[in-house]
Amino acid sequence: MAGPLYRWLDDRLKLKPLEHTLLDEPIPGGASWIYVFGSATLFLFCLQATTGMFLALYYVPSPDSAYDTVQFIQHEVPLGWFVRGLHHWGASAVMVAIGLHLLQVYLYGAYKRPREPMWVVGVVLLLLMMGFGFTGYLLPWDQNAYWATQVGTNMVASVPWIGDVLVRVLRGGDTLGALTLSRFFALHTLFLPALIGCGIVAHLFILRRVGPAGPWSVEQAGRRSEAFYPRQVFMDALVMLGVFLLVALLALTVEFPLAGHADPSDHTFTPVPEWYFLFFYQLLKYISGPLEPLATWVLPGLFILVLLLWPWLDRNPERRPASRPMALVSGVAFLMVVFSLLGISLWSLHTAPKVDPSVARGKVLFSKQHCMACHRIHGEGGKVGPDLSYVADQRPDRQWHLRHFRDPRSVSPGSIMPAFPLQENDLNDLASYMLSLKSESPAGTGNR
Amino acid sequence: MKDSVPEGTRRTFFSWVIGIAAGAIGMGLAIPLAIFAISPAMKRRTALWAEVGPTGNLQTGEPEELQFASTVKDGWRTNTANKAIWAVQQPAGDIIVFSPICPHLGCGFRWEGGDHRFHCPCHGSVYDVTGKVLAGPAPRSLDVLPSKVEQGKLFVIYKEFKSGLDHPVEL
Repeated sequence: MAGPLYRWLDDRLKLKPLEHTLLDEPIPGGASWIYVFGSATLFLFCLQATTGMFLALYYVPSPDSAYDTVQFIQHEVPLGWFVRGLHHWGASAVMVAIGLHLLQVYLYGAYKRPREPMWVVGVVLLLLMMGFGFTGYLLPWDQNAYWATQVGTNMVASVPWIGDVLVRVLRGGDTLGALTLSRFFALHTLFLPALIGCGIVAHLFILRRVGPAGPWSVEQAGRRSEAFYPRQVFMDALVMLGVFLLVALLALTVEFPLAGHADPSDHTFTPVPEWYFLFFYQLLKYISGPLEPLATWVLPGLFILVLLLWPWLDRNPERRPASRPMALVSGVAFLMVVFSLLGISLWSLHTAPKVDPSVARGKVLFSKQHCMACHRIHGEGGKVGPDLSYVADQRPDRQWHLRHFRDPRSVSPGSIMPAFPLQENDLNDLASYMLSLKSESPAGTGNR
Repeated sequence: MKDSVPEGTRRTFFSWVIGIAAGAIGMGLAIPLAIFAISPAMKRRTALWAEVGPTGNLQTGEPEELQFASTVKDGWRTNTANKAIWAVQQPAGDIIVFSPICPHLGCGFRWEGGDHRFHCPCHGSVYDVTGKVLAGPAPRSLDVLPSKVEQGKLFVIYKEFKSGLDHPVEL
């Protein structure tokens, strides 16, 4: 820390005391790998902020353009797929980091006096982060985004008395549309970042005022103390590098294609939320009928309240886990419920019949090429051409369909259908969709 | 309570590793983000051959203003805009196509059949049928656009040029 520029600046700005405050904070019991989760969360937040700013160079939050601009980022901007991948996987990683951070603080009893304010701010940060996840999910304006947000905002409507007003305020009107997209974008990129910035500053300010909690054993904490720099910074830096490499690797190797353009008239689409909301998605499947409000807002509301008030609910002054059986049992019980729900949900998604991506793309093309102007599928569409609801029963041959798209009269003399000279892969997708329309399988869910 | 802070070479080792980790993350982000932000801005617009229409009605030495729909990619959008060009059938059979924009300050000029010249109404520049400046403030001849005739149809690449210079510079 002693380059000539630094010395020159220090001479004028008196940086030494600041450096001392930032780097020489004593950690009771010494540096440890168990303390890295907070820094990892902060790093991932910064990664999200950076990649998000860059994505905003090309993204336009309007129903006419949002989907096209995301496609443009994904396919035309050099490395656009990578930047979008970093933002996508970074969002998942930040949830994992927050979960581990929360777990560590809980296990170490680090929320107890005098750190209650830090805990409360931390819970608010968690809620803001979920807000980022919820608002960001809508922005690509694909089918998943549209229908998942439809479900999410409808849950808000189940809150008694104020639900209707809340859902209107959230959607910017009575239906999900242009005003919803623009306000979700504003929330995601302006309001939430401003709020979370203040929250992070408050969280770190409290940390520096009360100091890190250190080990749960008082004797161990009292035995030695170590400055934040260099060993804890070293551990934090290595973990940040590891996390960055992991997110970059996921962005490089795992594709997450967009679903079709948001289509409010397509009620056959089943949205699936991000994995960190899946446990809740599963819970909603079990609680229905008159008890539904219990799942949509009573339990989440109670849970948030309990989380916020936890330092006052758990009045046991002991931090050692062995001396806190109640806290430990309730923590483990909560995790078991969440992970069981997540597990069941993942399992049922895994075993559910999958839509072949080629069939899905073909279905999108079918609507893009306005095929339903003439053809009917399960009651929707025109009656000029043949009904295609079960077309694969009569025409199970892919080659027939390919020839038919290129030149209908070559296989069906006298047909009035125009030729569709699309790209080879588009024709293949369209044929896959046609072949999925058979009597033993409902439209659009042809098995792989 | 004793303070245990690494000193000497151990301290140097830690600061080196911290620096390397920070540098690796910094470069790992900065390079792709710079490419992401800058390269589309460096890409030149690729104009495509646009079909103007049949050449059958053109008469030798008589400029004709032809309109056509030109498709231009504007970022994620594909815009179709109506454009016009001046086409002049040459005695040898080929066709010369002029941009419809006066090279002086960008007005639209017109053909005066009477005196067989192009006139720009804004500042009075005058050009002959080959595009050469005859009078007025225009600094250069009319801008010629790439063109070709295929199966009796005229195709052009529509371009715009900087105004006010003595030689054409494409926008």
